[in-house]
Amino acid sequence: MIATLLVVTATMYGALMLFPTGARIVLYMDGEQPLRTSEEWDAAADIILEKNDLEAPFLVQYFSWIQNLFKGNWGYSWMLGDNIFHALLRYAPATIELTIYSLLLLIPLGMLSGMMAGLRKNSLFDWVFRIFAFTATSVPLFIVVIIMLSIFYISLHWFPPGRIGISTDLFLKSGAFKTFTGLLTIDGLLNGRWDISLEAFRHLAIPVFALSLAHWATLSRVTRATVIDELGKEYIVSASAKGLPWRVVVWRHIFRNVLTPVLTNSALSATSLISGVYIVELICNFRGISNFIIFGLMETDIPAVIGFSIYSILSVLLIMFVLDLAQAITDPRIREEVMGR
Amino acid sequence: MKIRLQSFLALLLLGFILAVAICAPIISPSDDVENPSSYKRVGSIIDRLPHPPNENALLGTVPAQWDVFHSLVWGTRDALKFGLVVSLVVATIGTLIGSISGYFGGLLNSIAMGITDGFLTFPVIAAILFSTMFLALLSNYVGIELHLTDVGMLEQREIVSESVPSELALWIFNTLTKINPFMVALILFSWMPYARIVNAQIIRLKKTEFVLASQILGARDSRLIFKHLLPNAISPVIVLVARDVGAMVALQATFVYIGLTSGSPWAAILFWGRNWIIGPGGSLLNYWWLFVPATFALILFGIIWNLLGDELNVWLNPRERRIAL
Repeated sequence: MIATLLVVTATMYGALMLFPTGARIVLYMDGEQPLRTSEEWDAAADIILEKNDLEAPFLVQYFSWIQNLFKGNWGYSWMLGDNIFHALLRYAPATIELTIYSLLLLIPLGMLSGMMAGLRKNSLFDWVFRIFAFTATSVPLFIVVIIMLSIFYISLHWFPPGRIGISTDLFLKSGAFKTFTGLLTIDGLLNGRWDISLEAFRHLAIPVFALSLAHWATLSRVTRATVIDELGKEYIVSASAKGLPWRVVVWRHIFRNVLTPVLTNSALSATSLISGVYIVELICNFRGISNFIIFGLMETDIPAVIGFSIYSILSVLLIMFVLDLAQAITDPRIREEVMGR
Repeated sequence: MKIRLQSFLALLLLGFILAVAICAPIISPSDDVENPSSYKRVGSIIDRLPHPPNENALLGTVPAQWDVFHSLVWGTRDALKFGLVVSLVVATIGTLIGSISGYFGGLLNSIAMGITDGFLTFPVIAAILFSTMFLALLSNYVGIELHLTDVGMLEQREIVSESVPSELALWIFNTLTKINPFMVALILFSWMPYARIVNAQIIRLKKTEFVLASQILGARDSRLIFKHLLPNAISPVIVLVARDVGAMVALQATFVYIGLTSGSPWAAILFWGRNWIIGPGGSLLNYWWLFVPATFALILFGIIWNLLGDELNVWLNPRERRIAL
């Protein structure tokens, strides 16, 4: 995992090494000097060139850059007007909130519905499930979001887009509201303001449902296929033959065997989930890390793009790691292999 | 042989969309017959109101008077072209990497699969952002300025450096104008599933008797890979290609809609019309032609290729080897 991260960051820095020194100066700026005029910019650039040898061989430069990353100096983005690390800290909670709630919704739902459909193969429920899941995999994510917005926001006025309403946003910035985690749904409860939590949940509803729907469909289809596969195996016959109740066969035997392939599969789709988070954020105007896309792309803002990429890779790796951990906990074979080492 | 209803439906819909793509010049003639465009303007460019269906534009127009029906018909061509090109190239790259590293095994396989996993952690959107920035930087240093256009980025390119650009700069400029950075990024960051699937299959097949037999008979490595191993390992790849055609077009449409690239007329209609989707009084029905046809086309395209993939899965793979999904 750490090796992957090192290789990917080294590749990104190596790609930037193809350009003249000037392209990399912004990566070392910490944004503490004023940078409003071109003279100030040149002065700051001179200081950086004095301190860092940007003509040095690749490995030397790469390690000094990595050191900077650990110190929290991720470069200065003039579009965001801030150090990238501070900007990440500011915008990440919204994205993390969205990702966590989607995962919490889609993994149990996907596994349950896939199990139910697989156990009742060719029943009415199975047919409805298959048609629904098939459609959900075929429809592009942004269209799901548009359809949901048009139904639940425009027609029914239930779930507004954006992160939080304007009046609440002003209250949050007034200083009376203490920020503990940055996650509005949890901070609201910690401040004793459950109405703010409720409002945050209402704003989260459409992004979370849209994101979950697309990934729920793949996950539950995999679960269904695996369950059908497992049902044909002999240990199921022997478990039923020795008189175990069907409930026990399903939850003790089938479920635990289904868990491993399903968790592997959801770890693999972590990348598309993270891509989906940004797409949903952009369309729902849910101001999180997707801000980096808007600013980073318009003016080739190198630190913003690099920071965005590192954040994305980190979150993908983290999801993969957690799911691997869950797999090790649920699967004795993997658990023993890990413990044995 | 009994033909499944789903197979029949998939072939029928595929035939329909192919017919539309082939007959596009007849269904909706372009203004410029020699060099047909996927967009047609009916009316004045300064007219910023969407107009309802009339005899000139069968499905109405979006702001700036682009014809919805014309883009809908010609969009099938663009979607098929993009989806097929990207997924076939991606499948070829992935299959080659997966089979060669799987066949030789050992350290080479570990390194190749490690690189594959590294690519897998890169979300497509970060990859697209990075490669677009990379191309923009490259052209900046060559002395070319990239401009934003209506839909998507990096469309118009011109040389802005004051001195006369060198031969190399001109060559890079000419190459850059032909490259679609989005397509490059998508190809670079979508081959991993193929490599993994083929790799697993090849490693499994490598130890079977018929491969050992031809190895003993003295077959060369290339003959073994391409004549014996690949034909036996290719069926899941075919299924995945069919699904990817739809998925790639959906991804392209998504990025066109959020304004990161261009090339999908269907999503471009949605992009131009998105400020008008909500009509007066919050009604969705007032300007229905802005989003209903394009949405329908995108969903239909996705369903066709997914259905085709599922049916190929049933036909090609015997029960035990069928890939889940």
